[in-house]
Amino acid sequence: MLKSKDTIFDGLYSFGVSRRNFIKFCASMSATLALSSSAVPQIVEALEKKKKPYAIWLHFQECTGDTESILRASKPSIAQIVLDIVSLEYHETIMAGSGHAAEKALHDVVKNQKAKYIAIVEGSIPIKDGGIYCTIGGRTALDIANEVCGNAFVTLNVGSCSCWGGVSSAKPNPTGAVGIADAVSGIKYVNLPGCPVNAENITATIVHYLTFGTLPVLDRHNRPLFAYGKRIHDNCERRPHFDAGQFVRKWGDEGHRLGWCLYELGCKGPMAYKNCPTIKWNEGISYPIQAGHPCFACASNDSWDVFGPIYTRAPHVPGAGYQATADKIGAAVVAGTAAAVATHAAIRTFLGYKQKEKFAKEKDEADKIK
Amino acid sequence: MPKIVVDPVTRIEGHLRIEAIVEGGKIVDAWSSGTMWRGIENIVKGRDPREVWLILSRICGV
Ligand code: SF4
Repeated sequence: MLKSKDTIFDGLYSFGVSRRNFIKFCASMSATLALSSSAVPQIVEALEKKKKPYAIWLHFQECTGDTESILRASKPSIAQIVLDIVSLEYHETIMAGSGHAAEKALHDVVKNQKAKYIAIVEGSIPIKDGGIYCTIGGRTALDIANEVCGNAFVTLNVGSCSCWGGVSSAKPNPTGAVGIADAVSGIKYVNLPGCPVNAENITATIVHYLTFGTLPVLDRHNRPLFAYGKRIHDNCERRPHFDAGQFVRKWGDEGHRLGWCLYELGCKGPMAYKNCPTIKWNEGISYPIQAGHPCFACASNDSWDVFGPIYTRAPHVPGAGYQATADKIGAAVVAGTAAAVATHAAIRTFLGYKQKEKFAKEKDEADKIK
Repeated sequence: MPKIVVDPVTRIEGHLRIEAIVEGGKIVDAWSSGTMWRGIENIVKGRDPREVWLILSRICGV
């Protein structure tokens, strides 16, 4: 639909992407995939020679944030690269045809490229009341997903909604929203959660497939390890402040101005798995924690209910033992400070629990009133 | 009375369906429907007001 050049590099070249920028892109993909620099020539070769795989991009219960994430992507206008790395045959937000013409494009790919195309899905599927809460062309999202994902070579669930329901499935989940793999059984899929997804992770997943002929290594939630193998907390630039017990206590206090750790403001970075601190957003400029807002685990399953309330300090911190290690190494005075921090942490943990309990109770009551 | 249905309407955010009745080359009646609903109004009920902005901002990501 969009362009017909055969290989990926041909397509990029026709868009005015220079060879130098193309090589730079391949190197950045190798870095995102956590491969050694020796993989760069392999990536270059694959993208120069391989034909673009067909792709269909479906929208269900979504906000188009994942599409925006792709369209607003960067260097050397990655938007072009992403859109050019696959032959995108159907994408409601950017395609020219509407109505029957759009539906025909979709059916043609499903029929002619069976088990060869990639389905990219944004948004959850409502299964309550026969699926009437999301219909396209008079068909339910469930019906379309069964056909399109069921016949795809692989389904890439982009964004938290298509992975596990996301914000649509937050309590009380009015439409029975679920992720694609929960709605359509037996499909081969990769989960790329995030709210929204990071375009670089989609591209890297496809580049991996094109280069090596296989999908990247996945974890038990079908997330690629290169992007979801580490916690935000592991690579967070505020981490030294966490270890030193330097916490922001109030919005805009001195610690906040100095870039201290946001844990006390409710940061869920210690439980959230994603590569935000390394790849960031907007051409690698920043990401929420760097901008001073705590991470709320947008890429985690059930983040709105299990990880909330968002601005309440997390009751458990896996790996909080670092302070104890620091005690042993440090001087007595450091140990004293750390002990004070630990005590404070214990008190706050208790308060956190209390607050959480209170919140849960209030929510129950609110539910009862409904 | 021929009826025209355009669904999906593309190049927009969300899901839109247009139905129109055409008589003598003129549209005499038409309906538009948003064909996706998540019930976000119900999702934010009873939540900590401080986190509601994060949820409501996900109504539209464009
Ligand atoms: S708690 Fe949050 S802000 Fe603090 S170090 Fe961990 S990820 Fe960074």
